[in-house]
Amino acid sequence: MKFIDWLDERLAVRELVKVMLTEYYVPKNINFLWSFGVLVMLVFAILVVSGIFLLMYYKPDAHLAFDSVNKTIMMDVEYGWLFRHTHAVAASIMFLVLYIHMARGIYYGSFKPPREIVWITGYILFVLMSATAFTGYLLPWGQMSYWAAQTITTLFEKIPFIGPDLVVWIRGNYIVEDATLTRFFALHVVFLPLLLIVFTAIHLYAVRIVGSNNEDGERYTKEEKKHGKGIPFWPVFMAKEFFVMSVFLIFFFYLVFYQYKFAMDPINFQPADYLQTPMHIYPEWYFLAFYEVLRGFFFSQNLGLIAFVLSMFIAAFLPWLDKSPIVSGKHRPIYKVLFWIFIADFVFLTILGKLPPTGLYAWLGFVGSLIYFAFFLALPIVSKIEKKKVAGGR
Amino acid sequence: MKELKILAILVVIVLIGYWGIEPYAHSVMHGEIKKPDYAYSDLKVSAPTGGDATKGKELFTANCASCHGLKNDGINPGMDKNTAITSFNVVPPDLSNIAAIVDHKFLAAFIKNPQEATKNPKFAMPPMAQLSDEDVANIIAYLSSVAKKDLTGKEIVVEACGRCHSVKYQKIEAETPKDNLKAYLGKIPPDLSVMGKAKELEYLESFINNPQNGLPGTSMPRLGLTKEATEKTVAYLDQIADPHRDQRNRLGIWVLGYLLVMAGLTFAWKKKIWKNVH
Repeated sequence: MKFIDWLDERLAVRELVKVMLTEYYVPKNINFLWSFGVLVMLVFAILVVSGIFLLMYYKPDAHLAFDSVNKTIMMDVEYGWLFRHTHAVAASIMFLVLYIHMARGIYYGSFKPPREIVWITGYILFVLMSATAFTGYLLPWGQMSYWAAQTITTLFEKIPFIGPDLVVWIRGNYIVEDATLTRFFALHVVFLPLLLIVFTAIHLYAVRIVGSNNEDGERYTKEEKKHGKGIPFWPVFMAKEFFVMSVFLIFFFYLVFYQYKFAMDPINFQPADYLQTPMHIYPEWYFLAFYEVLRGFFFSQNLGLIAFVLSMFIAAFLPWLDKSPIVSGKHRPIYKVLFWIFIADFVFLTILGKLPPTGLYAWLGFVGSLIYFAFFLALPIVSKIEKKKVAGGR
Repeated sequence: MKELKILAILVVIVLIGYWGIEPYAHSVMHGEIKKPDYAYSDLKVSAPTGGDATKGKELFTANCASCHGLKNDGINPGMDKNTAITSFNVVPPDLSNIAAIVDHKFLAAFIKNPQEATKNPKFAMPPMAQLSDEDVANIIAYLSSVAKKDLTGKEIVVEACGRCHSVKYQKIEAETPKDNLKAYLGKIPPDLSVMGKAKELEYLESFINNPQNGLPGTSMPRLGLTKEATEKTVAYLDQIADPHRDQRNRLGIWVLGYLLVMAGLTFAWKKKIWKNVH
């Protein structure tokens, strides 16, 4: 106990533990979807640890990268395959967990006042995570790594005035080459993870200030939560969380050992070759929906590009698109319908994103893209209807 | 109960997504894989029977040995390797074990018309139209008599693929130099080290049986491997591409077992803590 006192005198650890854990209250009326924030942290930790081990043998050089991954790490290093499978599966599952975390926020209105900063920092984290995944995908230097990077960096060409120069600046060469690999490596292992940690800190800090949302979107004071409406984060919330984490890890390691193939595209086991374009080029599954929006406007590349950028960022503006006084989707019948159409559309776009964009698929992609935007554009209208209803009903 | 309902919804959505981006997308993109035809039924010759190995050896020395060696019987090729490469852009194979891995009907058709049998109009060996059906049967009888039985997958890959393909991670280097291969085939054939992961095994089997099945227009010749040789080749490519499979399957059970215990313990702890809540 002496040491704790010594530490407390200098760092106020007792107060810190109170503020962060034992006297930080979480509402009682939540379900296990509120566990996904902690699951995101868990997957991030798995990515960092497995990533550090991969770093010890990976060579960011166009001549060495493919063999360092597929020979050295996968075959020669003891349990190298385990770290690679874990890293690849974790990258994929990160987005599954993130999407569920975000969808929960959208359904229960967790972006609404006073939680705008929580939503925005969360969204920035999503964008940063996307950039991390994209840069990391180039590193094994396989055919799909190469051509995905080539295709996506080419998109920047369409930006007015600076486009073509910007593409060369990003790639460090006229095509994706050794220089691109090295700088993507730098971004993937240093710069982006650093930003992720900084924004995670702000995100968690903001949640500590405004508290978690709940199923009914009710606002509770700290006193209310302390006396009946809530539970302390430690140990009560985390007791359940550890169970959820264990179950999640069973699923996760089942994938790592027995179903890892979905996270490793077969085409990527052929070394990058800038003279040979693969027949089908597609991103990893978590970008397919946005990619399909890009292709959905098949009659105009420029329109597709604008739609693509918009589709990736429009959800960040949810707090200002949806100003309805009713917080939780549980109590919003029209919103509920729109939400499920949106989810169905997102899955639909994801599936279409991998299919060849021809014939009927092209038109379905166009319709799917319109529905995607229709959800966001309908929100101000729904808000207005609900505002009237609330004013009239009370 | 409500939480289980939410979980069920999550599972359904994830499964629909998985079905769409994996099995469904693959079936649309790659279509169906053609079944291999080990009878080589497009070739209009009958399988050779009743050949005489002694006569076969004479015929071999007179007709084949100017380019092909036969180490098993101490026959060296009449042409050294460099001359062969300069003339054909590819090394003619040593035929010691060819009868053990290539279907005999295919072999008969091949000797008479290599371009037709391999489906490669630029195939380097000229047709041996001067040989009668009996001559061909005698040669094949000779080749069978010297061929080593029960070749391993690795030996087959070296014999059947190793003149053009490298298997870098197994330290197998293509016998023919890269520049010659490029001149002969139009491009350098891919390394086979992790081909077992780049392609489905079913596809590999169909592709080896007839490269035109998988890549119409490819310059890879049809090799006429027997069913057994093809399956051994594919099994070998699969095994070298994924050498730690056994270790992975074994460790997986321990890890999942550990996590199951952990889930039990954490559930018990949750119960204990939550007893006092409400």
